[in-house]
Amino acid sequence: MTTCTTYNTGATSLSKARLHIARHEGHAITGIDEEDDLIFQALTCQQCDKPYCMYVCPTGAINRNNETGALTINYDRCIGCRMCMAGCPFGAMRYDPDRRQVFKCELCEGDPQCVKFCPTDALQFLPKNIANIPKIDYLARRLIELREREVKENNVGDDKNVTT
Amino acid sequence: MSLPKGYAGNTATIDLTNNEVQVFPADNFFRDYDIDPRLWIGGEGFIAKILWKDLPEAIDPLGPENEIIIATGPWTATAAPQAGRAMLGCISPETGGFSSGSFGWYFPAAMKYAGFDVIIVRGKAEKPVYICIDNQEITIRDATHIWGKETGETVKLIREEVGERYEGEVRVFSTSVAGENLVRYAVACGDATSCPGRSGGGTVMGSKNLKAIVVRGTGEIQIHDPRGLLDASYNAANKFVEEEPTLKLWKEHGSTTSLSAVANWPLTGTSLAENRKEADIPIINNAACLNCFAPCYHWLQIKEGKYAGTRQLGGHMTFLTVVLRNIGISDFDVWVYLERLTQELGIDPASFTMAFSYAVDLFEKGLITTEDTDGLTLRRGDEEFIWEVARKTAYRDGKLGNLLADGVAVMAEKLGPEAKAIIPQTVKGKPSLQRDAKLQALIWSFGALTNPRGGDWLRLHNVWELAFLPENRDTYPQYIEMTCLELYERCLELLDMPDDMKKKIFGDPPKVDADWVRGLEGKAQFSVWSEDFVAMFDALVTCMFGAATQFMMVGFGPSTYADILNKITGWDVSYDELMKVGERILNLERLYNYRIKGWDVKDDRFAGKLAYEEGTIGIYKNKLVPWDTILQEYYELRGWTKEGLPTKEKLSELQLDSLLDEVKLTG
Repeated sequence: MTTCTTYNTGATSLSKARLHIARHEGHAITGIDEEDDLIFQALTCQQCDKPYCMYVCPTGAINRNNETGALTINYDRCIGCRMCMAGCPFGAMRYDPDRRQVFKCELCEGDPQCVKFCPTDALQFLPKNIANIPKIDYLARRLIELREREVKENNVGDDKNVTT
Repeated sequence: MSLPKGYAGNTATIDLTNNEVQVFPADNFFRDYDIDPRLWIGGEGFIAKILWKDLPEAIDPLGPENEIIIATGPWTATAAPQAGRAMLGCISPETGGFSSGSFGWYFPAAMKYAGFDVIIVRGKAEKPVYICIDNQEITIRDATHIWGKETGETVKLIREEVGERYEGEVRVFSTSVAGENLVRYAVACGDATSCPGRSGGGTVMGSKNLKAIVVRGTGEIQIHDPRGLLDASYNAANKFVEEEPTLKLWKEHGSTTSLSAVANWPLTGTSLAENRKEADIPIINNAACLNCFAPCYHWLQIKEGKYAGTRQLGGHMTFLTVVLRNIGISDFDVWVYLERLTQELGIDPASFTMAFSYAVDLFEKGLITTEDTDGLTLRRGDEEFIWEVARKTAYRDGKLGNLLADGVAVMAEKLGPEAKAIIPQTVKGKPSLQRDAKLQALIWSFGALTNPRGGDWLRLHNVWELAFLPENRDTYPQYIEMTCLELYERCLELLDMPDDMKKKIFGDPPKVDADWVRGLEGKAQFSVWSEDFVAMFDALVTCMFGAATQFMMVGFGPSTYADILNKITGWDVSYDELMKVGERILNLERLYNYRIKGWDVKDDRFAGKLAYEEGTIGIYKNKLVPWDTILQEYYELRGWTKEGLPTKEKLSELQLDSLLDEVKLTG
């Protein structure tokens, strides 16, 4: 997030980053015996195929960059009406009160800096037709692991244990 | 002077006695405190300058005149690596002298985004309050309904009250019951996650009736060369990941790497790495402060046994060491539980367990009896009992609670010469984290003698020495498939230190082996270099968990820090200039402690007799540690007198001549 703002605005901020990370710091707000979770989930502009932000813009300030696929804002045309914020179903269009303008993820000219700087590869930038593959592959492997453990610990599904 | 980039631009002073809040621009702050930002940078440097001017004489640390200073630096909250840190400063309730502590998670960044480099809190509120900083709007709010709450609940209640618009937006730096009850070693805690440990800040907050400082920051920090900063940070992080041999271990063990894997702690018996494997506490996730790629936080969950279900974000070495050494339990579940409990109560785990352990010794020797302990039989190894005592201490409940809450130094003073003789490792009124200074390698313990905040080891945690304790010098390299000597050779080459300094520390040609670890050669020089280095990155402010020689073998050195700092600020500081900043800060702190407390060579001593007896284990088995020899060598290398005070020449070299008008030096 600091990379995002430093790259795109020249100043560093968390609240003005173009991606948002939902956090849940369970330990911070619970008592010692309560169970809770620690969660981080990033979300940013989906660069929709049918972009409502673009459709609702009365001045045609939002266009698709055909090279990168990103929806970008032409600030010469933007009148600051924030209709795009109303139109976006994901809240990915944001507003900077200091610069008095909306902003969104424009994929850093095709090389998203948040991905480049992510030290743990928690963020990845993949073509949309294969973006799901790592996720489903991971889950499939996890399924194998769980099944193997189940067999080992409980003999479930173990042929030798089947009575006829 | 125009403000260098990288600073937030404002300082806030909050006077709780008069309910007054003042916000003034950084230029005024620099002028009032005679600060050239390039000479002091921020964090630790600013704290030293502020205390020097505001509190020129000894005070009652629990009186209204004490200050809580939270100081960030130009590094904080930028896109630089490990940018989540700030320093807390005050007069220590344990020592009466200078105190500071580093903390992270997200309070420091939020504070800068709200527009503040420094927050200074003075005075004492009539009734419990908390300070709410909502960007530039600062209010002092009633905290009567939160007083008495433990850390987690405090954070939750305040976040609800202030009105978070999304979770994690509002950051809460709070004290807990131990601070409220003026336990001398209470710590404050940021979002129940990161505490400026060992600083006593929680006690000082309690004495001011200040429950918490709360911040919401949605602004931004100007950067001199944004793209240059990103490139420099990216390169530094990549280099770190490629070069740092302990990183793999670090991700598994966090800050316990140096003990559980590196030093094969304890020195005898099963290594902690094995012990931990047996405990099988799943690390559900790693978590880190802002921009950290060497996350020390482990999200842990205890699976079985009586603590099943307990979760803790942490897993730090202090807890492990004190559980093992001071309360006599080598069970990882207990270690995780202690970490959570001390965080909730807001007590320093080192000072508390040292006091507890000392009380057990005294009890066994009959120097205290059941009359002093509310009828309890003191013993190590029984964790349920220890949790009960921890709660008694945090609440100052009964005779035992009050005895322990004052800490080892006051206990020794109260109980007379026989008790004094067996006091555990303590310097200037502050205990270190384990009883015997001779157990570990030399530099680590030596750090407790010279540390400006009293007998604490943290500023000289030297993994170069810890890694290769002769008893187990191949324990650690085996985890990364290297031999000890291969690893040493590689690290010597990569370490960011000038060749002549390497020769002074490691010999000519530089060579590190078991003989170096056992010997005195270069140890004073290594201590001087490390102390300057630590004071410098505490001024930036960044984290010691990325720093060369402190917790990492190679890590970041001054060259990397200088390169990135220049991109942030537009300066052109060099390696040497940056190290001088550290030396300047160290000298000012030394002089400050001399000015208010008269501390000199006579105070650079361990209390009691224990440290001056022959060792029973480790390097100093059947041997004495020549503390005074290494101390005098250290003074000489620092350019100090035999009494341990900076000379006029040294002060002049560090551009500190003006201090001579304010303090009288003998000799």
